[in-house]
Amino acid sequence: MTAASAKVARRRAADLAFKVFCTIVTLAALAALATILWSLISQGLPGINLRLFTQSTPAPGSQGGLANAIMGSLMMCVLAMVMALVVGVLAGTWLAEYGGRSAYGSVVRFLNDVLLSAPSILVGLFVYEIVVAPLHSFSGFAGAVALALLAVPVITRTTEDVLLLQAATLREAGVALGAPLSFVIRTVLWRSARSGLLTGALLAFARISGETAPLLFTALNNQFFSLDMRHPTANLPVVIFNFALSAYDDWRQLAWSGALLIAATVLTVTVVARIVAKEQSRS
Amino acid sequence: MNNVNAAEVFESSIADIDRAQVKVDVRNLDFFYGASRALKGVSIPFARNKVTALIGPSGCGKSTLLRTLNRMYALYPGQKATGEIMLDGENILGPRVDLARLRARVGMVFQKPTPFPMSIYDNVAFGVRLYENLSKPDMDARVEEALTRAALWDEVKDKLKGPGLGLSGGQQQRLCVARGVAVRPEVLLLDEPTSALDPISSAKLEDTVTRLKADHTIVIVTHNLGQAARVSDYTGFMYLGELVEFGATQDVFTRPATSRTSDYITGRFG
Repeated sequence: MTAASAKVARRRAADLAFKVFCTIVTLAALAALATILWSLISQGLPGINLRLFTQSTPAPGSQGGLANAIMGSLMMCVLAMVMALVVGVLAGTWLAEYGGRSAYGSVVRFLNDVLLSAPSILVGLFVYEIVVAPLHSFSGFAGAVALALLAVPVITRTTEDVLLLQAATLREAGVALGAPLSFVIRTVLWRSARSGLLTGALLAFARISGETAPLLFTALNNQFFSLDMRHPTANLPVVIFNFALSAYDDWRQLAWSGALLIAATVLTVTVVARIVAKEQSRS
Repeated sequence: MNNVNAAEVFESSIADIDRAQVKVDVRNLDFFYGASRALKGVSIPFARNKVTALIGPSGCGKSTLLRTLNRMYALYPGQKATGEIMLDGENILGPRVDLARLRARVGMVFQKPTPFPMSIYDNVAFGVRLYENLSKPDMDARVEEALTRAALWDEVKDKLKGPGLGLSGGQQQRLCVARGVAVRPEVLLLDEPTSALDPISSAKLEDTVTRLKADHTIVIVTHNLGQAARVSDYTGFMYLGELVEFGATQDVFTRPATSRTSDYITGRFG
């Protein structure tokens, strides 16, 4: 065998070894994911029934569901998303269209990126200090503020990104007709970027829907069904946290079912976001 | 003739246009992208109800010149124009100029079609709604008139509520022309309007341009010399940020005054 062909053979072997290694590692990661999904489904599915959606969290040993927690989570997430969309879309628009190239713009973008990866428990503590402590009460409102703080950086980032993706000539075409830039942004650019903006919002929603840590200090929990967000508000993540660690089988069953509900919601939202993003790239 | 210096040529050709017929008069215009100077002392008249073509190799400053005429550059910090651009005797580079009003008077069509993500009807009505409160029948009439003038009406009259982005490239570009003329601008700027279009669509757009000059003063930037020869009454040849030659299109193409112009139009460079 000549030196050259030996070299080729060695390279082929290295190539094969690398492929096999990559495949094994990928399979390991997928196996972990599959195990998580399997245990979620196998343990959670038996507890999925109508009661889950119609009855509130029970005392140990009695019948009940998660209606109060589902409603509380829904209210807080929706309120959080409303707040986060207003702030995030406007901040992202400012970064993309107005101040992004200034020194102040760079600072805002950097801080936003820091917030993007901030530990959520810190956000919870922060909101505890500025909302819960002064008002002397845990509340659904405080929970929503904490969740909004987590969603804002995601929305800001995606808004800036999708606006920068819009052709510069689209902006100029609007301005060329005699429209002020702010009007062009609202009527043309946001509309043109709408599926990207929606994707960002859905991802932010997916991010906050399973957060537990920031709610522990803010919304706390509530064992009764309530629509009043001025008081402690039940929510799925905290109920799961409490029930999963309990000694009662029926509580642990509810925790599994709640976890399955959250996972299914996040999965659905992510899939929808994917489809929407694909529509965007096609048009 | 080839050795005549550019300034003399410019002075002599200016004389060809009756001063009263000058709609836009650019005088001694310099343009800066930050520190780099893209236009160097450009002076050029644009005659009322005529088509003036700006030709020259890439990077010569013809699009830059076009973008000063509606101050599009003002969107970008760091870009600056000095000199004078007189529109009906008023310097549009002045500090107290209302840019939105100016752009309503000086319309623009871009290289790539830029329909807005809305219906064909709303695309055309977009600019009109900014400055005029028309009743529904009046607006319908205005939209039809604009689309007719852009030679698009017959193709879209049955799908006005359909999306502008659903049209073909050539139709989209004529939609942009319709959107531009709907606000009845006095001046229409066309920045390589056919470079993204197929030959048939290009020919239709050229016809449109020729008909539009009855109502508008038109400035067209083009890489296509045949197009400049076909549609324009006057032609300016630019090179490295300077206006090398300006005159009646027929003269520039048949008896160019400088060697650089003749080299460019005969295809020796560019």
